[in-house]
Amino acid sequence: MSKIKCLCTALLVVLSCYAKLWAQTPSDAIMMEARQACLLLDYNQGSFDQYWEGTLLRENQTIATVKRNAVMPMVAVGILDKLNFYVGAPFIKTESSEPNGGKFAGASGFQDLLVALKYRIINKVTDKGTFSVLATVGFSTPVTNYLPDYMPYSLGLGAPELSYRAIAQYKWKSGLYLRGAGAYLWRGYSEAEREYYYNNGSYYTPWMDVPNAITIEGIVGFWLWNNSIQLELNYLGSKSTSGDDIRPYNAAQPTNDIEMDRVGLLAHYYFSKIKGLGVVAYHNRVINGRNTAKINTTGVGVTYFFNYLKKQN
Amino acid sequence: MKPIKYVLLIFSGLLFFISCEKELPTLLSYDSYVFSSTDQAGGTWKPILMGSGDEIIIAAPAAVASSEYLQELSDLKQAIAQMSGADRHAVEYWSDNSAIRWNEIALELIAKYNLIPGPNADGTYTLPNPNNPSGPPAFPFAHPPYAVRALAYMSVAQFDGLISAWHYKYTYNRPAPFHQDSDINYAYTDNTIPSYPSDGAVIAVASKKILTAMFPLEAEYLAAKEAEHLRSLLLSGGYVQSDIDAGKQIGEEVATKALARAATDGMKNAQAPKAVSDSLAAAAFARFGWQWINQELPQRPVGLTPLYGKVKMWNVPNVELTRPIPPPNLDSPEYLADVEILKDYADNVTEERRRIANFWQDGLGTYTPPGHWNEFTKEFIVKYKLNPLRSARTFAYLNMAMMDGGISCWDAKYYYHYPRPIQTIEGFKTIAGTPNFPSYTSGHSVFSAAGAEVLAYIFPQESALVKGWAKEAALSRVYGGIHWTFDAFIGTDQGIDVAQYTIGVAAVDGAD
Repeated sequence: MSKIKCLCTALLVVLSCYAKLWAQTPSDAIMMEARQACLLLDYNQGSFDQYWEGTLLRENQTIATVKRNAVMPMVAVGILDKLNFYVGAPFIKTESSEPNGGKFAGASGFQDLLVALKYRIINKVTDKGTFSVLATVGFSTPVTNYLPDYMPYSLGLGAPELSYRAIAQYKWKSGLYLRGAGAYLWRGYSEAEREYYYNNGSYYTPWMDVPNAITIEGIVGFWLWNNSIQLELNYLGSKSTSGDDIRPYNAAQPTNDIEMDRVGLLAHYYFSKIKGLGVVAYHNRVINGRNTAKINTTGVGVTYFFNYLKKQN
Repeated sequence: MKPIKYVLLIFSGLLFFISCEKELPTLLSYDSYVFSSTDQAGGTWKPILMGSGDEIIIAAPAAVASSEYLQELSDLKQAIAQMSGADRHAVEYWSDNSAIRWNEIALELIAKYNLIPGPNADGTYTLPNPNNPSGPPAFPFAHPPYAVRALAYMSVAQFDGLISAWHYKYTYNRPAPFHQDSDINYAYTDNTIPSYPSDGAVIAVASKKILTAMFPLEAEYLAAKEAEHLRSLLLSGGYVQSDIDAGKQIGEEVATKALARAATDGMKNAQAPKAVSDSLAAAAFARFGWQWINQELPQRPVGLTPLYGKVKMWNVPNVELTRPIPPPNLDSPEYLADVEILKDYADNVTEERRRIANFWQDGLGTYTPPGHWNEFTKEFIVKYKLNPLRSARTFAYLNMAMMDGGISCWDAKYYYHYPRPIQTIEGFKTIAGTPNFPSYTSGHSVFSAAGAEVLAYIFPQESALVKGWAKEAALSRVYGGIHWTFDAFIGTDQGIDVAQYTIGVAAVDGAD
């Protein structure tokens, strides 16, 4: 029973990939078995009225409060018991609150298509609990021609991204679990619609090198009420491996060196009467950063698990 | 192999393929070339800041058979023998047409300093102050009027300096060291231009001196660039030290003349105090019944350089000769039709309009629209294989015309003081940033049309291309939502008009 309930949570693992800078980043150690699938529909709303210009936390009435709403449909499929596949693409809408001094139009549209594979390397069950190690490889790339060089309204960084993530979890019989994850994000180039930009020097090209990044995650969580609800506290740290600072009172650009520390809460409830259905709610906030928004994000989602093929025996 | 392994293998292969790195260009790459002309009579051309090229006087060079010169040759060979990897890189970088490199340095500094000061915590704004350049905010704010002026003074000094250099080159006809001594190899293509004085040294010293005055916080950076450039001239095998020293003297003197003009051209008064700025707005309101009002939060008390229209022009005798007709009244059918056009563009941002708006935006943090036209110019200079003198001439007329265009445009902006679309269209949103000055006429339109006219004059083969670009640049501001169509169209006409004065000067300078 509890196993089936857990499955849909696996979807949230890869949310980190679409999230890029501003959305949530839970990761998970749960696998679906072969022939099982899960649908997730997630809605989240983020907003910020402060951001870090380099390391200086500031306000800017040109953009006032920037709101960022996203709807994310995603599918997870158990190919093998040890191998899961994920695909999703968020729709995002951005705008400033009124009044603002810049009068800039916001942006909306589908952002990046994400595909990912998760493979379970170790799953060691003892009388005390379960230890598992997993690896995720993900790839995302823009699916529309949104303009990445339109910060802070741009839908995303506009570059292809490869993510390599390792996840380790220990779950006690009591329902308590601890999880850690580390990822390396390789980002390609994003294309601006201008021939020149400044990045600590002149660049005569529309191509902007989007810095790679490393992330680490730490999660403590537990299952309650006969495994019908899962609660998590999570931390995400993210750091670019290169990049420039936002210049004084100037717009951000995809070449920036982004760092952030983010903390969050997540709850996932599984209905006992409707087989396969769950709801998830989460909130997270960036508490420290560099060249990034001090954004708070709240999201809700529905998860639905089913067998896409009948078991054959 | 299990199927899973195939999947992972294919996936990893795909990732590897995608992971390749690009080389992102940070400068214009070009090989040394045979100049399309050597312009032996270039020393007789009419300079801008002085009566003639021989107004700057340098000593006659030592004869090539003199012990003095032979010692210089010997020193040169020794220096070349001891070249480091960095020296070789510098020789390759600077090339034998170094106006291109100094133009790139100028554009880089413009982009670095093209940052509008933000508000203080109490909602006031502090202006950059040349007497306290470190700020904050740092001096200067290299906005388009500032940028085009810096480019104009640098280019004019280079041009005049090279006319002087050409005068002495073909007066004394001292051949380059690599012609004197077969042990010396020249790093570039031989154009058989006499080496005394070194044209590169004129460019190095004049450019560094002008840019240091324009960007005082960069003095150290510019001094290092100048030193590297001067050393590369020697190590190229093209010049002995006395060739370089004579060029330095010309560079120094011509830059002094240029900076003397700059000190009194009225730019220091352009950022008028609030009382003056308010009186300009009030005068427009009394005359026309409208006035531009800054929409930023907190509101900026003064627009950008209200008195830039009073700055001394290069080639237009009186700015009012180029002042355009008044823009339409705010209740006229023409104005109301424009409101509909702008709303339509805002509601229907096509890929093409967005691309054009962004391509020509050249906004804060970039090299500005005049910088964009300088960039095109560099490519044409290389394409048409111009020699250093003709390169400097091209930059000089281009930037004088664009600066005059800017002055004429700013005169119209603050005389007519016409509102921006975000001021008069309720709830209007833009995809480009609305600048802190009145709408009519569009600076991009005037700068671009003036620049295109000069480029069409110098490179007639490119006439249709560059004039098409200027029209697109003008329209880009309408697509961006920050200008009316008449700001763009009349601005284009204004730029064309202003440029004719500069082209008239170019036509009789002796080069054509």
